Amino acid sequence: MLAVAKLNHYYGKAHVLRDVSLDVGTESVGVFGPNGAGKTTLVHAIVGLVRPRSGDVTFDGRSLLRLPTHEVIRSGVALVPQERELFPYMSVRANLESGAAYIPGARKDLPAALQASFEMFPILKVRARQLAGTLSGGEQRMLAIARAMMSSPKLLILDEPSLGLQPSLVTELFHKVRNLGERSAILMAEQNVRQSLKAVGRGYVIENGQIALEGPSDELLRNDHVRRAYLGL
Amino acid sequence: MRMTRYLPYVLGAALAALFPLFSGAYLEQVAVGMLIYLTLALSWDMLLRSGQLGFGTAGFFGLGSYAAILLFLNVGVHPFVSIAFGGVVAGVVALLVGLAVLRLRGMYFAITTLALAGIFAVVLRNFPGLTGGSEGRMLPNCIYAGNTTKIYWLVLALAVFTIVISEVFERTRIRLALTSIRNDERVAKSSGVNVFKYLVFVFAVTSAIQGLAGGTYAHVFGFVSPEGSFSANFLLLPLAMALLGGVHSTWGPVVGGLVLGALSEYLKLQIPYGHLLVYGAIIVVVTLFLPQGLMGTVRAWWRRSHVTRGAQ
Repeated sequence: MLAVAKLNHYYGKAHVLRDVSLDVGTESVGVFGPNGAGKTTLVHAIVGLVRPRSGDVTFDGRSLLRLPTHEVIRSGVALVPQERELFPYMSVRANLESGAAYIPGARKDLPAALQASFEMFPILKVRARQLAGTLSGGEQRMLAIARAMMSSPKLLILDEPSLGLQPSLVTELFHKVRNLGERSAILMAEQNVRQSLKAVGRGYVIENGQIALEGPSDELLRNDHVRRAYLGL
Repeated sequence: MRMTRYLPYVLGAALAALFPLFSGAYLEQVAVGMLIYLTLALSWDMLLRSGQLGFGTAGFFGLGSYAAILLFLNVGVHPFVSIAFGGVVAGVVALLVGLAVLRLRGMYFAITTLALAGIFAVVLRNFPGLTGGSEGRMLPNCIYAGNTTKIYWLVLALAVFTIVISEVFERTRIRLALTSIRNDERVAKSSGVNVFKYLVFVFAVTSAIQGLAGGTYAHVFGFVSPEGSFSANFLLLPLAMALLGGVHSTWGPVVGGLVLGALSEYLKLQIPYGHLLVYGAIIVVVTLFLPQGLMGTVRAWWRRSHVTRGAQ
């Protein structure tokens, strides 16, 4: 569904993406790597928030590279950005509505999507009228994911969803992400390799802007380099 | 339910429409000024709701004034047509200017729009054959031959029109788009909002309203001039009104416009040369102690009293 081919990007002279290629079908895929490896840049390049110098990104056979971000989102990609992912001065409900209100196909299904969000994250129903900024960190992250799912995207991109969450919430979050995999394809950038590998079927390891390794989750779990560098074994 | 809901609006509109029955020409004249500034305050706030601090109010006001008066004098159309023309010219110019300057944000956008009034004034001053140069142009007669009651109704219609547009913005999908852009542009984009399109649209609409206000004002007072029509007062007073009333809503700027308009008129009578000092002091006090403005403070108080009652 999503194909990234030989993507290169620079910040000034720093070469931050080097011939990055990856594919996402209908499954859940992880992109792992340390701070500064290029995960967020890759995500931003896919949705058009940065313009890569060379390479291509295609979604359902259509190139996304020249499209402005809102067009990318309308074509069926939803993004949960890293941090600052919400509208803090809008109510929880308005945040959820904003996930579907500007996607032409999703607008008419808004009530049903809202219902589905509340079923998946019951706490959001309790908080519906509160300002999003008053939620706890974990609740905010759940809200951000629920909002992205409001448009029933074909592909959900998560940029470090576990960042800044307490360990018990991280487990719960990846559990939810695994369930979401039944509703859409997922591309998840993560540093927490140990836990997020359980939520995805396949993964890429990205280091210094290059894909260093790729394979099914269980294979990555057994890989010596991954075990030493990311699992501390 | 439906009836009681709309009752305050109907009452308010009726009261405003019947105002000339129990006021003299002086009060009508005061109200005309207040309503013009109120219209500008509201249009300024409508753009602010998208997070963009626009300082082009005086510029588009003056542009609308000139467009209306020049069309009226040279082509001889009905005053209403010329006022509408003023709005259209301001809207179209804002659309073109917006396509360029709405790539800027924050202070850069603010400063660029502030410069517009200066640019428009200089350009107009340098076509003396058409615009009368630095003298400006006078109308042979004010609109309605200076009948203050009819003028009041005209200006009231303009203010009500602006309130209706503002409420349309508040009650449709436009509100969610503008609020999300104000909150975080990147997240708005990631929600599928065409940020640039919405900003250009709202900039053009609010500038067109300012142009309409300018055209109306010029017909009411019967002249245009570079200094008068582009005066910084048409930016600063509306801004103070919106801040006093409370930004990001329809009723904040409206209430602020009425209160500050009435207050400044009263102060003008009490201390003829010092009223601007008091005016400035009010703004300082409001920003310090009522940062949400009058309406914001009332709303917060209302919410608090309701919550306490609910808890008992």
